[in-house]
Amino acid sequence: MTGAELTIDLLAKHGVKEVFGYPGGAIMPIYDALYGAPVKHYLTRHEQGAGFAAVGFARSTGKLGVCFATSGPGATNLITALADAMMDSVPLLAITGQVPTAAIGSDAFQEIDVLGMSLSCTKHSYMVERPEDLAEILQEAMHLAQSGRPGPVLVDIPKDIQMAQVPFHPWLAADDYLPQLDLKQVAIANQLLSEAKRPVAYVGGGVQAADAQQQLMQFLDKTQMPAVSTLKALGSVLPEYEYNLGMLGMHGGQAANLAVQECDVLVCIGARFDDRVTGNLSKFAAKAKVIHLDIDAAEVGKRKPAKASLIADLKSSLPQLECFVTEQAWLAHTKAMMTEHAWRYDYPGEKVYAPYLLNQLSQRMPQNGVVCCDVGQHQMWVAQHMKFSHPSNHLSSGGAGTMGFGLPAAIGAQVARPNDFVITVSGDGSIMMNIQELATIRRNNLPVKILILDNQRLGMVRQWQELFFDGRYSETNLSDNPDFVQLAAVFGIPGQTVTHANQVDDAITALVNSTGPYIVHACIDDKENVWPLVPPGAANDEMMTESVK
Amino acid sequence: MKHSLTVTLKNQSVAVERFLRVVRHRGFDLIHFQLNMDDGQYQVAMTVDSDKPIHLLTTQLNKLVDVRHVTLENLHQQAM
Repeated sequence: MTGAELTIDLLAKHGVKEVFGYPGGAIMPIYDALYGAPVKHYLTRHEQGAGFAAVGFARSTGKLGVCFATSGPGATNLITALADAMMDSVPLLAITGQVPTAAIGSDAFQEIDVLGMSLSCTKHSYMVERPEDLAEILQEAMHLAQSGRPGPVLVDIPKDIQMAQVPFHPWLAADDYLPQLDLKQVAIANQLLSEAKRPVAYVGGGVQAADAQQQLMQFLDKTQMPAVSTLKALGSVLPEYEYNLGMLGMHGGQAANLAVQECDVLVCIGARFDDRVTGNLSKFAAKAKVIHLDIDAAEVGKRKPAKASLIADLKSSLPQLECFVTEQAWLAHTKAMMTEHAWRYDYPGEKVYAPYLLNQLSQRMPQNGVVCCDVGQHQMWVAQHMKFSHPSNHLSSGGAGTMGFGLPAAIGAQVARPNDFVITVSGDGSIMMNIQELATIRRNNLPVKILILDNQRLGMVRQWQELFFDGRYSETNLSDNPDFVQLAAVFGIPGQTVTHANQVDDAITALVNSTGPYIVHACIDDKENVWPLVPPGAANDEMMTESVK
Repeated sequence: MKHSLTVTLKNQSVAVERFLRVVRHRGFDLIHFQLNMDDGQYQVAMTVDSDKPIHLLTTQLNKLVDVRHVTLENLHQQAM
């Protein structure tokens, strides 16, 4: 068996049925081994598209996503997707071809030190130096990507090792090292909970990584504790939960941010006090004692000290929290804030109002559909105005904030969940960053839906220029965009443009009812901003709202 | 504040590079660094300087797959 054949064989044995990639010289033996193999390969039109498709596959299922690229520029094009997966803890395996061992270090054609480049954007990475190491490295890489706190792992395989005869020794993955709960810390946490008058649960992406939605909801249902979510956690707290305050942070809801600022105990469940969540850290939840639950010890105390640290898998730590029922006065106050600051959709005027469109789409699309996003204003409107019943139904580039994420991520999600409704919501800036993947949609007849919210601007940057840079609109005008419906038509994808509010309902009907891929190009007001907004350096209770503007 | 650490690393060609990258990125200046190969593993003795608490470095180093042990020599300082 050659190294290339072994690589494909091991993927298949591990249960990998689909991979995404792009061939090239140094990975040709692996592509040759793919020919006729039981692993289906999806050819994207750019390696970054393959990386994000694998991320979308992984995030929409919780399974390992796998992508291939050749050496040199093929591998560098994967780097952004690896960085994205690193920031958002996504289980990803990247396999790259490398020039033959004898040529490494000679500045050979398409030789780049990919292992060196991978150090800052992977959980771990390898370059295979000997044929006899290949099997163990691949098996360890698949295990590492999915164990503990998940993340991307890269395996760089020189061409001669792909072509060499290799031995295969089945390798039994070591048991996961899972930190054991410190019972003293559990006791401290439960003491804090017993004394809490105004507790809040601050829910993060760890709930999806640990597959702990059930444990989370059991805790919330028993305690009735008000819950706020990070961008990545949206869907972890079920939408029907009475005290679901939605997203907190820079563009979070006012009730969510105010509740956190007022709380006396903050139960952080798989979150990491990201700067977009906390605003001014010294003023964030300043009255609160923190109970921090996370599998990664490095996140506890990294940004905000914890009074109790439960460092373990959330599935085991969450049930250790005692379920004291939250006091009625705090619940009534929380409810009053939710009512006072509820989202409003009674937008005056004839233009398309993006929050209304997204809210209507959320109500009319299948409940178990997947919504992917790009990055910018539309991303925040999706987070604010759409509802999700599971975090695997909302794929948004959180930590890295990568424009161009949405379209290939939707491809990966649609491959992973062929019977589910999958849509990418994008902006006129972001969609152009991986627009070539329309060809991948067409090639595979994937019924991916596309909604472009087009304000002919890099909207979020334009908003900051308006608010914080004296209206000096440097390089954010995109009024020379192509006609997106015509562009999609060239790839054989039908669609329509909407320019007025009274066209929105019919466009959503066409989108939801279409059996194949479909695009809705919605022209929105170029001056529309995302509200509320916590300005730079401010505390989360110092939000700017539209009325302040 | 200065902190002395000893670290045991797997004998992997990239292990030292990966480990030093984390030291720099997490905001710790390298004051002293000594590397020896012993019993098939790298033994590192180093001193770092930073205004950040040392647990911000030790917890990150402990996560690295190639790192076997991290020992903080002056435990009375801000070790977690």
